[in-house]
Amino acid sequence: MKIPDYLKKKRKIELTEKDLIDYEEKVKKYYEDAKIIAPVHLSKGNEQEILEIFQYVDKDDWVFSSWRNHFHALLHGLDPDILMEDIIDGRSMSTNSIDPKFYSSSIVGGIIPIAVGTAKALKLKKSSNRVWCFIGDMTFETGIFYEAHKYVNNFDLPLQFVVEDNNLSTNTPTDETWGGIKRQIPADVIYYSYERGYPHHGTGNWVLF
Amino acid sequence: MGYKDEIVKSMEWLAEKPDTVFLGQSVSYSGNAIYNTLKTVPDQKKIETPVFEELQMGLSMGMALEGYVPITCYPRFDFLILACNQLVNHLDKINYMSKGMMKPRVIIRTSIGAKKPLDGGIQHTQDHTEAFKNLLKDINVVLLNEPDEIFSAFELAYQRDDFKSTLIIEWGDYYNDK
Repeated sequence: MKIPDYLKKKRKIELTEKDLIDYEEKVKKYYEDAKIIAPVHLSKGNEQEILEIFQYVDKDDWVFSSWRNHFHALLHGLDPDILMEDIIDGRSMSTNSIDPKFYSSSIVGGIIPIAVGTAKALKLKKSSNRVWCFIGDMTFETGIFYEAHKYVNNFDLPLQFVVEDNNLSTNTPTDETWGGIKRQIPADVIYYSYERGYPHHGTGNWVLF
Repeated sequence: MGYKDEIVKSMEWLAEKPDTVFLGQSVSYSGNAIYNTLKTVPDQKKIETPVFEELQMGLSMGMALEGYVPITCYPRFDFLILACNQLVNHLDKINYMSKGMMKPRVIIRTSIGAKKPLDGGIQHTQDHTEAFKNLLKDINVVLLNEPDEIFSAFELAYQRDDFKSTLIIEWGDYYNDK
């Protein structure tokens, strides 16, 4: 994984790999105890990469994420207890916060245009803050990413894309659906690949609700 | 005052607000009826966009999350269909998704394409008002039938206390008829 030179470290991350893994284990237990009556999308396998990236995210930056968002939310400073309440309340796929600024959505590619708009606004306001948009490999291949990336680059908007590639969209292999070839990653996009540690949703164990 | 002049008056009133911005295709360049209602809006208040309807709607919502009030223009109802992902799945659901914390206020302008003197045909003249009233749970949908409804509709869209977004639908034919 390469971090572009124009990015500087903004904060020290107190959370550890173990903290992140333990948090999802806690969600797993609630889910398997049938205390969460909604899908959960657990993170595992990308702890090192995401811990490194969030050192470059300022506490006042915007962070956009998708349905698999617990690591992003925790690392951007959402209160773990409030986040857990949201998850138990069935909001795992669309956790949102205004302080810190965090938006997530369970629609593929849906966050991208909104992230572009916040970046446009920050630029108009001459803000020193940045927008971070975390997307998966299938989202990276969509037309909306192509449009957005072009617009962001041509207008020099403060938006940093991060592609988290597990080559799966639900359980569909991204490369296979695109004929075996994925788009080349632009130099300004942070990219890493990892192996998904949990299924697309749920924990991998049968739960009787 | 006639239908089009009421819209022009409304745009001029909105343009005086420091937090408004007008965006879409043909806000700065001629090409559709909406352009003719924005001629007196200062250039620095306008963002001419590419044809990327979905991105335009999300961009408007994103700017609204940072405090702007975008007046986002879709020259025909038929074109607004392409922005439905952002409109229906995001802007309309943000209040629920954020437990009321996020209050992006977007004013969406669109028009039922005129049939006189030229009929734009089946892909340029559709009226989807009732369909959108059914689709949208939170966004206010307003169809402008009479000139005297126009200014108050835009005024309310900008000032409403609940910060809800508003879809305002114009009749292209009424620009000349009323």
